[in-house]
Amino acid sequence: MLIALLSIGIGATILAGLVTIYVDVPRQMGAQFRSYGANMLILPKEGEILDSDHLAEVLQKIPQDELIGATPYRYVRLDMTSRQQSFTAAGTDFTQVPKTSPYFSIEGAYPENTREVLVGKSIADTIGAKVGSTMELTYQPTALSENLSPEESRVPNAMLSGSAEGFGGGMVYVSLKLDEKGVIESLEIDAGTQTPEYGGRVSEDEAFLAQFTGKTLPLSPDKDIDALSGATVTSEAVVTAINTAQMTEKSVKPQTLNFTVTGILTTGGEEEGYVFLALGDMETLTGSGQLDVAELSVSAGAEQLEAYADAITQDSGTVRARLVKRVTRSEASVLEKLTALVFLVTLVVLLLTMICVSTTMMAVVSERRREIGLRKALGASDGSIRKEFLGEGLFLGLLGGVMGGILGFVFAQVVSVNVFGSSITFQPLLLPITIIVSMTIAALSCLLPIKRAVAIDPALVLKGE
Amino acid sequence: MLLIALTIALGASLATGMLNVVLGVEEKVNKELKNYGANIVVKPKDSSLLSDIYDVGEGSELSTAYLREDELGKLKTIFWAFNIVDFTPFLDTQVQISENASVKVTGTWFNHHLDLPTGESLDAGVVGMRSWWDITEGRWLDEKDENASAEVMAGTALAERMGWHAGDTVHLKGSHGEKDVTIAGIYDAGGDEDDQLFTTLDLVQFLTDRDGKVASIEVSALTTPDNELARRAARNPAALSSRDYETWYCTAYVSAICYQIQEVITGSVATAVRKVAESEGTILDKTKLLMILITALSLIGSALGISNLVTASVMERSQEIGLLKAIGAKDRSITGVVMTEILITALIGFAAGYLLGFGFAQLIGQSVFGSSIDMDPKVAPIVAGLIALVTIAGSLPAIRMVLRLRPAEVLHGGH
Repeated sequence: MLIALLSIGIGATILAGLVTIYVDVPRQMGAQFRSYGANMLILPKEGEILDSDHLAEVLQKIPQDELIGATPYRYVRLDMTSRQQSFTAAGTDFTQVPKTSPYFSIEGAYPENTREVLVGKSIADTIGAKVGSTMELTYQPTALSENLSPEESRVPNAMLSGSAEGFGGGMVYVSLKLDEKGVIESLEIDAGTQTPEYGGRVSEDEAFLAQFTGKTLPLSPDKDIDALSGATVTSEAVVTAINTAQMTEKSVKPQTLNFTVTGILTTGGEEEGYVFLALGDMETLTGSGQLDVAELSVSAGAEQLEAYADAITQDSGTVRARLVKRVTRSEASVLEKLTALVFLVTLVVLLLTMICVSTTMMAVVSERRREIGLRKALGASDGSIRKEFLGEGLFLGLLGGVMGGILGFVFAQVVSVNVFGSSITFQPLLLPITIIVSMTIAALSCLLPIKRAVAIDPALVLKGE
Repeated sequence: MLLIALTIALGASLATGMLNVVLGVEEKVNKELKNYGANIVVKPKDSSLLSDIYDVGEGSELSTAYLREDELGKLKTIFWAFNIVDFTPFLDTQVQISENASVKVTGTWFNHHLDLPTGESLDAGVVGMRSWWDITEGRWLDEKDENASAEVMAGTALAERMGWHAGDTVHLKGSHGEKDVTIAGIYDAGGDEDDQLFTTLDLVQFLTDRDGKVASIEVSALTTPDNELARRAARNPAALSSRDYETWYCTAYVSAICYQIQEVITGSVATAVRKVAESEGTILDKTKLLMILITALSLIGSALGISNLVTASVMERSQEIGLLKAIGAKDRSITGVVMTEILITALIGFAAGYLLGFGFAQLIGQSVFGSSIDMDPKVAPIVAGLIALVTIAGSLPAIRMVLRLRPAEVLHGGH
């Protein structure tokens, strides 16, 4: 009896354990595949700008437990004036980089503070940079095209100039400088065309000029600025000129910052030719917090990924999502193979285990032929014997099934923690299934030997033949 | 006895099948992972930095160092030649397609036929190395076609912008030559490559007058996951002790293969693409570990099943043993008889199970990977040993128990 129970228990353990593992393998393996790096890119739509707020909005659309990491990138050219060289620099979030690019191999450490950089190996070799050495990087703003809109011009440290029609058709010219927060730092007004004793005073009246300092653009004529008495038209023209002012060429000064190298990056790819710095430093250098691209690593199947990408592109007015086909496609095909492998292995193991269990059950029941014969000799009907043994088998199946269902989960958990380093999800449906399967197998394997034992003449059975 | 033989056969087949799958799975999965493309990139030693760091236009005089196209075949002569699955050369240039528009053109191999000095032949090229490309229109460029050198493949983004379709003719004007070419097909690569043209290496060499020159080579190789030794060696192979060096050189680590590539390709630097190489290692290790644990579980299960059954069957024969004792048989001879019988049964079961297990392994190999799994000679002795151990372990306690019984009691039928 104990032997039968043990064998059913083992069978049920294997059943429950393997099925739990099988169900969880695609998810667990999928997570491993994320070491290939990002599988989705978030890009700004044509003519739009991507920034961290947009990105945060996009990330809401992906379930948090499926999102492994999201790394923003901004690429600009930076000069290393001391060596007359220029590099592609990538502004990024170093807390996210190891999540989306786990293959980055770093000698040293990721930057943690501001003014620290990670340098690609090929750059490090060229300039002889080592962990701990310093480098001076300069951002040289490129010459601006003249059709930059007033809104686009209002970046920190910008120099703006504008004009508007004043009193009597004469033009009023303004040139202003913004500080690093984007508010007006200084203002110059050329009102030479205006009547000197009325409108002309706007360029000199200190109280009037002082109103502008520290104001954010665009100005609202009534609230922000009190018009100079006797020069209302000219004052309004000044406000209009400021509000329509555009950035002039080379009006942003080159920014230079000193950085400390905290790590040298090796990837075997083009990243070795980049310098990586924190987004905050990038913003200080370039005066803008926009992003070029965000790399997302999402643990989901190919179809699910496509659904997310479509949803993001459709719902958002500013960004579009694109899948990295090389990664998603290959992952789908490899994962499919692996799942098929585990499926077949599970099937074969289960089949053989179940046969093993039933042969053991058969042997155990056959052993009791004498008992059956004795009962028959004492007048028990075939039906009642069958019922009793079947009941016993079912009971053993139930007990073994419960035992195996629990042990199997424990086993699957051990495997999962050892192989994937994460715990497995318990499949509640599996327990009843395990119990039903073990009861069925126990009952079925009882039937054949009972049938044979019952069919034999009790006298012969009792005699021991 | 029949039941025991059957159970042992099943257990043995399980063990055989699973062990073979575990031993073969690494190679199979490794092949599947080749889908991700190259894991080694070979570049000329001198120019590898310059054109990457500076925005130097292609065709300018800065990138003067090249690899030689005629040396590519040598990749299949290195120590780990068998592990080199595929490779393809690249040569880029910028060509004029109209008065004021230029595009990037990459010359490469598509299905280039190579006859190796070893007598082997293979078709290498991007058809195998860019398995994720979708051909949205037309077909792959076929190098076996006579007109191959007057054909190009266009990326979807470029084709859409220019309004090109498969079959259209485009005029390409390079730095040293020009040619009318036909668009053989349009591909969707889902990346930067969508905005350029791909064509034969010969054509780009002709357009830029760089005969027999190659700018880089992508290699796809089957590799062993890195360990501590490999990492040490990757930094500086010369610093290894001669014994470590030998172990490293003769193991298919990605760094060892890179090193061997540098030995045969003049003036080259081979680097591992960490993104691919590292991930492959992780996935291979995990898959193997998973399979080993599943195998262990199923082996323990069948071992318990078998020894259970053996115990049950020996107990069943308590009457017979009692009778033998009653007529004067010694304990030792009884044990001998019972054990011989069981071991013979086990042997028959093992033989049948081994064949069955072979079948299971092939079934899994064929249906999952579409190729057969090699039978490892180690498996047979392991399984045989396991079965012997399990059978003896299962019968010993039962025999001891039976021997301790008194014949009269046993024969009487009481326990």
